[in-house]
Amino acid sequence: MFKSDSDQAPDAGQDEDLLDLFEHAPCGYVSTDASGRLTNVNATLGKWLGLEASALLGRKFPDLLNIAGKVYFETHFAPLLRMQGFFNEVALDLVAANGSKVPVLVNAVERRRSDGSAAGMRIAIFNASDRRQYETQLLEARRRADTLAAELRALNTELEARVLEEVAERMKAEAALRQTQKMEAIGQLTGGVAHDFNNLLTVVMGGLEAIQKHVALVEPSPPVQRIERAATLSMQGAQKAATLTKRLLAFARRQPLDPRPIDAGRLVTDLADMLQRTLGETVKLETVNGAGLWLTAADPSELENALVNLAINARDAMPDGGRLTIETSNAFLDDAYVETITEPVSAGQYVLIAVSDTGCGIPEDLLVQVFEPFFTTKEVGRGTGLGLSQIYGFVRQSSGHIKIYSELGEGTAVKIYLPRLNASPPPASLDGSPEQESLHGGEETILVVEDHDDLRAFSVAVLLDLGYRVLSAASGKEAISLVKGERIDLLFTDVVLPEGMNGRDVADEALAIQPGLKVLFTTGYTANAIVHNGRLDAGVQLLSKPFSASALGVRVRKLLDET
Amino acid sequence: MSHVDKHNVRISGKGDRTMMFAHGFGCDQNMWRHVAPAFEDRFRVALFDYIGAGSTDLSNYDPDRYASLDGYADDVIDIARELDVRDGVFVGHSVSSMIGVLAIRKAPDLFSDLVMVGPSPRYIDDEGYTGGFSEAQVHELLEYLDSNHLGWSEKMAPVIMGNTERPELGEELTNSFCRTDPDVARRFARATFLSDNRADLEGLPTRTLILQCSDDVIAPQAVGEYVHARLPNSSLVMMQATGHCPNLSAPVETITAIRAFV
Repeated sequence: MFKSDSDQAPDAGQDEDLLDLFEHAPCGYVSTDASGRLTNVNATLGKWLGLEASALLGRKFPDLLNIAGKVYFETHFAPLLRMQGFFNEVALDLVAANGSKVPVLVNAVERRRSDGSAAGMRIAIFNASDRRQYETQLLEARRRADTLAAELRALNTELEARVLEEVAERMKAEAALRQTQKMEAIGQLTGGVAHDFNNLLTVVMGGLEAIQKHVALVEPSPPVQRIERAATLSMQGAQKAATLTKRLLAFARRQPLDPRPIDAGRLVTDLADMLQRTLGETVKLETVNGAGLWLTAADPSELENALVNLAINARDAMPDGGRLTIETSNAFLDDAYVETITEPVSAGQYVLIAVSDTGCGIPEDLLVQVFEPFFTTKEVGRGTGLGLSQIYGFVRQSSGHIKIYSELGEGTAVKIYLPRLNASPPPASLDGSPEQESLHGGEETILVVEDHDDLRAFSVAVLLDLGYRVLSAASGKEAISLVKGERIDLLFTDVVLPEGMNGRDVADEALAIQPGLKVLFTTGYTANAIVHNGRLDAGVQLLSKPFSASALGVRVRKLLDET
Repeated sequence: MSHVDKHNVRISGKGDRTMMFAHGFGCDQNMWRHVAPAFEDRFRVALFDYIGAGSTDLSNYDPDRYASLDGYADDVIDIARELDVRDGVFVGHSVSSMIGVLAIRKAPDLFSDLVMVGPSPRYIDDEGYTGGFSEAQVHELLEYLDSNHLGWSEKMAPVIMGNTERPELGEELTNSFCRTDPDVARRFARATFLSDNRADLEGLPTRTLILQCSDDVIAPQAVGEYVHARLPNSSLVMMQATGHCPNLSAPVETITAIRAFV
């Protein structure tokens, strides 16, 4: 099989060694003729393939390969060999006689004639079973690494998305919190201003009242008539200002409320006729009352006010007519919902009053502002911007929750949730409209406790004017020392007092000293001792600031006359 | 970027008609290095690479476009139009023979003569048709390629691309020597070996020369005869050359046959 080179003449020993080297070298040797047919195959390759080497003679090298090897040899490696004269380390699979694969690395050189044409190939074949196994493991490791990297990328993407979502949610929550804090701050400011302004208004109105009263006693003359007209106009202005401060106090959750058990369904039904008149002919009113509606506790006149205000808003949102639906039903605010609200609202049972219109709707970006005082979507002069603020304050002060939903072009729904009333007996309450009752004076002793000097002077003057014996004090301590000194029939005290004693404390201590003493409170606030959660305690008598001289006179007389 | 640039088109020779040489699966325009120069005296000779072969920019490779041979045929048309080819000669090796058929079907004005070197309209045997491969064999081939064995891809790619340890081969030669991107080769193999373009042959009137090698495992003689039988205006030349690449292994015989045809 081995042919020695004719230029050299190796001895027999060398011949034998070279023959052995060819046959039994640790690699396969193959040579072919010009047509690619195998002319020499060594014993090592034959052994790998499970054949006598001689059985392979005459076949072509690609015949020893699997199908992929055949194709790649023809399309890639044969051209490469022809063009560059060799190829190295080509990984191929030989197919053994028993069908098993023998992974090999193949080096080949082309033998060329002087004209450059191919004379044949010399091929060396190295067993690459271990190497291929190692490569397979490497490939598997890379595949796993790719999979893990892909998973990691997916996880990263997901995390990024989650972070974005979280940030968006947090920003939304922060925005909501800011809005709540803003409402709270506006409330504080509004309430504070309105409260002080109320005191001043009381003084102003008292003065005007005095002017009117004394002018009536003077002989009529043109200057006197001018004074009368001016006083009347001033009084009208002052009354309007008083209404304004009342609404601001309502927003600030500092209006005195008189909560009673309410059947919201009946209240709506009773109000329907009036609401329909308010709405006009083009807007159709529908009321739907849920069955088995729970009672709620709220100030009925404020609730009616709220419904009228909402009806007016709805009417203005439906200039071409439409439908207003007022529904009542039982509702449950669960923990999940309550968590989404930044205002403190308890989870639990509520009575829902929903007022929905088919009007123009409110843009989403404006929706958060609708409860702010003086915010209005109506054109200048059409609305005060206090209606919804007042409702908001009322509902919040009543431990309820208000939510507004709106779709541009579809309509707006305002949902008022008032807490379910569990206690059944109705508390004692204030009488309505004392101003309409006749004004009588008396000779009883009244103690006026008020830290605001002007207001105290006003109240004292009014009561003195009515014939009462009047004592006054600027603080709780001062008042108590007076109560200890002499008999008092009625204590008229501001709720908010300086020096650590509020009106409630004064009343309690005075009652302890003189049981049977009548007590009348006055306040612009509700957030204090006399009011729990913005409600009057049962049986407590309260005169809201600002009050007129006649209102004070009527209430004092009425209370003294009660047995 | 022009198609000429994208496909690394090389123009040489002088003549009124253009002779466009297209490489097949497994190499690049170097495939024609011993044949194309022989026609420069009479033709404007155009050589090009498909995207992913030779020194073309891989970023232009669109897997969807090249999922079937149609995308390759569109490339041929784009290049020929840009070169203003009319009534030219298209010489396609291996799978490019069928790419030429598809291109002529789509744009009959481009080429009036077609030379097919080792053509096959379908590699897998079918009822009444011998393609040379069983379905199982083709799937074994594709699976082998998909297994991404180092021997075929990472390890062998540099070998296929050329050998930098042989600087005497010259910079140009070593760097562009039958360069094939492994991933592109896998996809090209899929598009090639799963193709069935027998219907496209039926009655194609183009004057055609079919060069059939002896002992070609990729495109056996039966396939060459099948192609010849379907093309009414074709002649079949049985070559002495063996294997699948007579343009490399037997350039003289190949040149002689083509010259006799054109």
